[in-house]
Amino acid sequence: MAQSVSNVQERTHSSTYEALSKIGRGAYGTVYKAKNKETGQEVALKKICIPLDEDGIPMNAVREIALLKQLNTYKHPNIVKLLDICHGQQVGKELVMYLVFEHVEHDLAMYIEKNPNGFKTTEIRNLCREIVNGVDFLHSNRIVHRDLKPQNLLVTRDGHIKLADFGLAKTYDYEMKLTSVVVTLWYRAPEVLLGLSYATPVDIWSIGCIIVELYTRTPLFAGKSEKEQFGEILRVLGKPPKDEWPEKNAPIKWSAFNVTERLDLKTIAPNMCDTVLDLVMKMLTFDPNKRITALDALSHKYFMEEPIDT
Amino acid sequence: MPGWYFDKKELRNTPSAAAGLDYKTEMRYRKEGARFIIDTGMKMDLGYNTTATGVVYFHRFYMFHSFQQFPRYVTACCCLFLAGKVEETPKKCKDIIKIARNLLTDQKFVTFGADPKEEVMTLERILLQTIKFDLQVEHPYQFLLKYAKCLKGDKTKLQKMVQMAWTFVNDSLCTTLCLQWEPEIIAVALMYLAGKLSKFEVMDWVGRASKHLRWWDMFVEDITMDLLEDICHQVLDLYSQPAPKSPSDSPPPSATKPHSPPIQSTSRQSNGSEKIAHISPESLPPPLNTRIPPPSEVPQFPYQTFTHAPPPLTSYAPVSFAAPPVNTPPPMAGPPPPVAPPHLAGPPPNVYPPYVGHPPPFTPVVPPPTGPPPYFSNGMPPPTPGHRQYYPPP
Repeated sequence: MAQSVSNVQERTHSSTYEALSKIGRGAYGTVYKAKNKETGQEVALKKICIPLDEDGIPMNAVREIALLKQLNTYKHPNIVKLLDICHGQQVGKELVMYLVFEHVEHDLAMYIEKNPNGFKTTEIRNLCREIVNGVDFLHSNRIVHRDLKPQNLLVTRDGHIKLADFGLAKTYDYEMKLTSVVVTLWYRAPEVLLGLSYATPVDIWSIGCIIVELYTRTPLFAGKSEKEQFGEILRVLGKPPKDEWPEKNAPIKWSAFNVTERLDLKTIAPNMCDTVLDLVMKMLTFDPNKRITALDALSHKYFMEEPIDT
Repeated sequence: MPGWYFDKKELRNTPSAAAGLDYKTEMRYRKEGARFIIDTGMKMDLGYNTTATGVVYFHRFYMFHSFQQFPRYVTACCCLFLAGKVEETPKKCKDIIKIARNLLTDQKFVTFGADPKEEVMTLERILLQTIKFDLQVEHPYQFLLKYAKCLKGDKTKLQKMVQMAWTFVNDSLCTTLCLQWEPEIIAVALMYLAGKLSKFEVMDWVGRASKHLRWWDMFVEDITMDLLEDICHQVLDLYSQPAPKSPSDSPPPSATKPHSPPIQSTSRQSNGSEKIAHISPESLPPPLNTRIPPPSEVPQFPYQTFTHAPPPLTSYAPVSFAAPPVNTPPPMAGPPPPVAPPHLAGPPPNVYPPYVGHPPPFTPVVPPPTGPPPYFSNGMPPPTPGHRQYYPPP
């Protein structure tokens, strides 16, 4: 038995893929561009380290991986495809695993950079719709992305969005505490910055930030620390309405703010039309319970309008 | 989920067969493993879903590995262990082993080696890899309940029929049916069987359309009577197998020799091993999973696998006959509300003790929802209110 076990482990070892280069995209875990030695197909290998406990692979990790695999069967057009899962070796108290995803050449950050003249508004709207569509799919499957940002919104050659780097939040929790990865704060919802409980609305906040960025090609709230990030949000959006302030749980009292006015987003992004402004403001609603949902956003008039090319 | 269904020829060409195990013995090993998972699950108060998931893993595992290489009771423990995690009803590995120690003879427990826990935990990774992380498995139970809600007729008789079908589903886990057919089809077949045996003929159902000859036409396309009979016989064969020599070796002996089932048609004998030997794989219908086309009107991007799709009749537009949303049955940690045991004239489905409990109660006939479901209008998946805002536990 012991011998047979090691044989099988040899066989299942991820030797079919040859790592080409580090992509390094994504805040947690390393991602490599790799090639399937048998088919020549290019893939993105995501290395994950699962901490083992006394009962093997923790339940959360098993469930999250099961869900990723399950989601994959729906073949959603705006979700990156999971091709394979490979076992690596057990290193100490950790099990190394490789998630094999389809390789997509660009992410939205690179895409913005590569188009210095900006995008047509119709193209921005298509990108936005696909982002919301992908997020709605995750939300309807009880997945909160938690880290939406241009770097993990992949853009295919023909300009379609595919969401990546989601679904392993609980598996990573442990690892996150140990590694001092710099996680970008720019797209973080106020409830996360305040350390309150959060759910699917955090992703909507991130989308709101990303939509404005698509128009302006600059991050909307670019704070360097959590405090600064919060300050940036207030500087633009003004002091939140009193009834939206979580007085009971928030570490800061509502009365502690200097009264500030809301800026007109049009001064920041003059090329945004009224309907997209309306949608963005519904996404950047301070109270997560009042924030628009992905499903409702999809039927917002911004996505229903006639294409107007400006 | 593709890749998990096999035809009868493939079921005979397993790794165990390649390593020299005869078919009859392999089927016995599968049955014993399944039964052991069920018994262990019951002793640990695990629900029918977790248990059934464990059994499906077990059957799938041995399509890639042999019984000679991997002792069945170790695998069985591992399958239940993993199913517990996946179904969010985790059990400690050492507790599962404790139960196994109690249920198994010394001779059988020897296969766990010097460090049983380590043996099971090491196997976990092989199991995961073997079943390709396809961990979320659906079972006939949920479909049985869903279909039952649409059937009209005498409430008591219906209840009795569902109870009997439920028991058949339990027992079907000891066969390789879950490797052959989708849970929807197994549910239909075993409801058909239970209907025959309990003399409950379904004359009318909610959402009936003129093109539906049988109630199940509403849910699954192209089920032939031959297919239904084949599935029923595979389950009935369990009851006519010879009693094992020692009770601890195998499932409890069938105390009563069942009468031959009052199913008309087919010249098939009800003795499994013989029957199977007489059927050539070619004469069997091809696996149905290849024959359930997704409804053509369904938008390019299906949110559900097509076997799981809504009734294959129209598009996502107003579906007046659609089954009412199934109220999730109460969690079945303990035994469900008592239901009178079925008194049968035909083969007793309770030849084995009813181990996974009774079906949860259901409301037999629910009027179809009024008005079109709003969520289909834009091709979106049904918004399950509880799902949309998911607050992870702190």
